Amino acid sequence: MIARGPSHGWIRLIEPACTSCMICARECPTWCISIDSHTEPVEGLPSGARDRTQNVLDRFAIDWSLCMYCGICIEECPFDALEWVSEPTQPTSTSSALVEEMVTRPS
Amino acid sequence: MRWLDWYGDGSLYVVDVGLACCALEFDAASSAAAMRLPRLDGQAQVAVVISGTVTDRLAPAVAAIVDGCEQQSGRRPTVISFGACASSGGPYWDSYAVTKGVDQLLTVDAYVPGCPPPPEALSAVLDQIAGRVPS
Amino acid sequence: MIEIAPQDWPAAVEALKADGFEYFDWLGCVDEIGRGDCLRVVLVVRNLSQDAEPRMVSCSLSRTDPRIGTISGVFAGAAWHEREAAELFGVEFVGGERRRLLLNPEFEGTPLRKDQVLAARTGMNWPGAKEPGESDFSPSRRRLAPPGVPDPAVWGDRDASQIAPDPAEVVESAVGGRVRRRRS
Repeated sequence: MIARGPSHGWIRLIEPACTSCMICARECPTWCISIDSHTEPVEGLPSGARDRTQNVLDRFAIDWSLCMYCGICIEECPFDALEWVSEPTQPTSTSSALVEEMVTRPS
Repeated sequence: MRWLDWYGDGSLYVVDVGLACCALEFDAASSAAAMRLPRLDGQAQVAVVISGTVTDRLAPAVAAIVDGCEQQSGRRPTVISFGACASSGGPYWDSYAVTKGVDQLLTVDAYVPGCPPPPEALSAVLDQIAGRVPS
Repeated sequence: MIEIAPQDWPAAVEALKADGFEYFDWLGCVDEIGRGDCLRVVLVVRNLSQDAEPRMVSCSLSRTDPRIGTISGVFAGAAWHEREAAELFGVEFVGGERRRLLLNPEFEGTPLRKDQVLAARTGMNWPGAKEPGESDFSPSRRRLAPPGVPDPAVWGDRDASQIAPDPAEVVESAVGGRVRRRRS
């Protein structure tokens, strides 16, 4: 019995694992991934330590009208922050609705 | 025009504009539907599915087919953009020869993402259009 | 692959056909810029009575004036292949049909030549141009260019007083090579 992962229906972001490294956006052949991020200082460092910053992901969006479901983003992510989902992406009535915003922030 | 009586009862006729790979998924989804000349009463709906990449060269022909559906059926068809190429040019958006989405030519009522979308996605969208979504 | 001189092309193809290679397989074109400054027209014909043995012949044409005789008189099926090579590479098949095959009549350019940059990519903001920790596209520093887009200093937003880019430089930059521009 071959263990099968999810079929290539949809791509999901595992937000806590994403470091905004930009690799998926750069490797995507169709330019369908858009990422915005900013840097913030790291809190709670021991006294005497150098200041450090970390990336904070503000926006991660995939434009499903462009995505060709090749899975390169999933394979390239060094932090396994993207995964396949078996259900297919949902149809929409407008083309702008095909851009899925995957980072939700409390308003 | 190849009219498919999708449910076999004359309630929805579907025409496929099979341009590229997505046409194969359309064929898989439509294998049960019979090809019939439409007997269009007031209730029957008509849908046109654009399955595949629209090249600039073929764009006028695609628009002409949709117009032809409207002429022959006497009603405005529901236009479904099936797959990434029909929705935006898909992976070929940067090509010198591709129309970036069939919505550059016509009003699209439903966009089905996928490359290609599975046949079930087409059946589901047509069920929604026909008001047959299971509750 | 046998190389044939442009002036000998139609005669050589007729000779091949007379020699038993009566099946026209395909005719295509390759832009060899970066390796040689030419467009290479390639023809494959087959001898069906000899296990379809293929014979490949080619002819190098100058990129600035690529002209070669048509072989549609020898193989009628070559007409479509020649029309395609003509519109996509700018090769002139003398005596052949000039109608467009795949491109719109209004289309300008020879898109399969390697120095023809995909304009759609250069006009769009590449999402990958942002650095980690950035949210805007403001060009504060030299940015990564995506594949297929030449460095703007080589092609595109250049200073008009600079020399026009050599096609080979455009190609090298578009595939990611560093091009050292002449300054004078």
